[in-house]
Amino acid sequence: MSPMIEMRSVAKTYFRGGQALTVIESLDFEVETGDFVALMGPSGSGKSTILNLAGGLDYPDRGRIVVAGSDITELPASALPNWRARHVGFVFQAFNLVPVLTALENVMLPLLLTPLGRKERLKQAEFALEVVGLSERMSHRPKQLSGGQEQRVAIARAIATDPDLILADEPTGDLDRDTANSVMDLLRRLNVEIGKTILIVTHDHVAAEKAHRQVHLDKGVLVQEHRNAGPAA
Amino acid sequence: MSRTPWRLVWEHLWAHKVRTGLTVAAMLVALFLFCCLVSIVTTVNAAVTSAAGNRLVVQSAVSLFVDLPRDYQPKIEAVPGVVRASKLQWFGGYYQELSNFFAQFGVDHQVFFDLYSRDLEIVEGPDGETGPEARAAVEAAMAADRRACVIAEGLRSRFGWGVGRTVHLIGTIFQKNDKSSWEFNVVGIYRPLKSNVDNLTLWMRYDYIQEFLDGGLATGPMGVGVYVLNVAEGYDPAAVVEGIDSQFRNGPQVTMTTTEAAFQAAFVSMLGNLPMFIGTIGGAVVFAVMFTLVNTMLMAGRQRAHEGGILKALGFPNGVLSRLMVSESLALSLLGGGLGIALAFASQHSMQVMLGSYFPNYHVEPRTAAYGFGMAAIIGIIAGVTPALLQARLRPTDALRSEG
Repeated sequence: MSPMIEMRSVAKTYFRGGQALTVIESLDFEVETGDFVALMGPSGSGKSTILNLAGGLDYPDRGRIVVAGSDITELPASALPNWRARHVGFVFQAFNLVPVLTALENVMLPLLLTPLGRKERLKQAEFALEVVGLSERMSHRPKQLSGGQEQRVAIARAIATDPDLILADEPTGDLDRDTANSVMDLLRRLNVEIGKTILIVTHDHVAAEKAHRQVHLDKGVLVQEHRNAGPAA
Repeated sequence: MSRTPWRLVWEHLWAHKVRTGLTVAAMLVALFLFCCLVSIVTTVNAAVTSAAGNRLVVQSAVSLFVDLPRDYQPKIEAVPGVVRASKLQWFGGYYQELSNFFAQFGVDHQVFFDLYSRDLEIVEGPDGETGPEARAAVEAAMAADRRACVIAEGLRSRFGWGVGRTVHLIGTIFQKNDKSSWEFNVVGIYRPLKSNVDNLTLWMRYDYIQEFLDGGLATGPMGVGVYVLNVAEGYDPAAVVEGIDSQFRNGPQVTMTTTEAAFQAAFVSMLGNLPMFIGTIGGAVVFAVMFTLVNTMLMAGRQRAHEGGILKALGFPNGVLSRLMVSESLALSLLGGGLGIALAFASQHSMQVMLGSYFPNYHVEPRTAAYGFGMAAIIGIIAGVTPALLQARLRPTDALRSEG
């Protein structure tokens, strides 16, 4: 089976205030289809950059990135949004829900980019919220939900279109331990039960234990990686 | 496939009620002013465009303010092609106080309503007659009573006058020697059919004033302001004009005969560049509010950068984000503009009362409303495009980092 994410000789430099900051110099990295990988490392090590590159939110300066069978470095900027909508679901640390919409409307947002009709979109969004255990909170707005519930809505939004890949940037960063555990359990369930390929960025060692594989980065270089022994409780 | 989450537009409008309310109010005021000011200009011009082609006006070649001799009338009527002629004498009185000023004219009642049969309609006669009988009844009543007058519907609404009422006017040009007011008995009410006839005018018998002047009971111009006449079918108005003016080339007053349209145009030109000035102010008001809306939408765009980042991350293309921004801007401008235009229509009557003396027949034309609505749409698009372009330039990662 081909890898879900394949990065070859990828380099990325940012320019901030006239200063060049090389985050990744030459990275080779793979995530197998169906895998659940946690990217770890200190701040500035390039974790989020890898996530953004894999999700087509940014272009590398050099190298090749193939995700879900598409070389996204070859895709024009105008084609990337459509590609993202079809293949990637994002989960962010700050949840990034649209505050003026209800939980259900937030989950229905990416479904607008599919050919589904309104009834099917509604059905699919309700199902996604049911999967994350928020059937009772569909009509609530983000402000009326707890942090954990907001992140669950964000996960429901990420899986609503049934993407190949879920990319989560510090999904437990703003949550307390118990809530963080339940969110990670949910992601693990999505990986084990539905077979979603998941790549998360985290500082949280306990959260990373829920993944199958941990990859440690430092200054844009993979310094260590290991497979977790088994599913953590 | 990229459908637009239109609900976001609605939610954002409701989520910022104060901002929405103030912006709509600004657009409302601007478009209301625009429609009112442009309507003043179109009202002034309408008097020219709706003037009858077969009607001529004879005035002094020196100035409109110089009278013509009374004995010119039979000579004018004798010119081939002249069907009927009436004196038209500006009375210049007011009712009770100066602010109650409106137009009054002394006319030859025997021919005046024939002259203007296509321009005004008698809607109520002396005994409540309506329809075609009303005019005959009014003509008979005018013939029977030297103090008779006919008033416009606008005066009935403004002062509550009706048929049978005696109206007291204080003369400014024509003044009785005993300083008493002039009395006129209302015998009929007319409705203008065209914009060249004012809806706030009182028509009285010229000979009634003439009697006072000739009897030494009142002071005022002894002559006639202008003569108005109809050209018979088949006659060339230019030849009639020449026929009249050539008679009086050696005085005592040289005449200048023009078509009614040219007369109205000359009257409008006495306002100088006022119509253009008013039109420019209307345009400037709309232009100023455009900057307000652009500023509002730029702020909204900045506040919405984070949300734009979310939508971009989810896969919405820049086109959808632009549509949302422009739609929100259009909703604000069209709602405010639409309300302003509606208010301009709704306030027509009040404006007619307020401006009637200066701009008779003030009215908002549908094309003014359409023009205003078009302006509102253009403003909405311009105000929406600017933040949409800025949002489109933002990379998703930068947009997500921005403060929501």
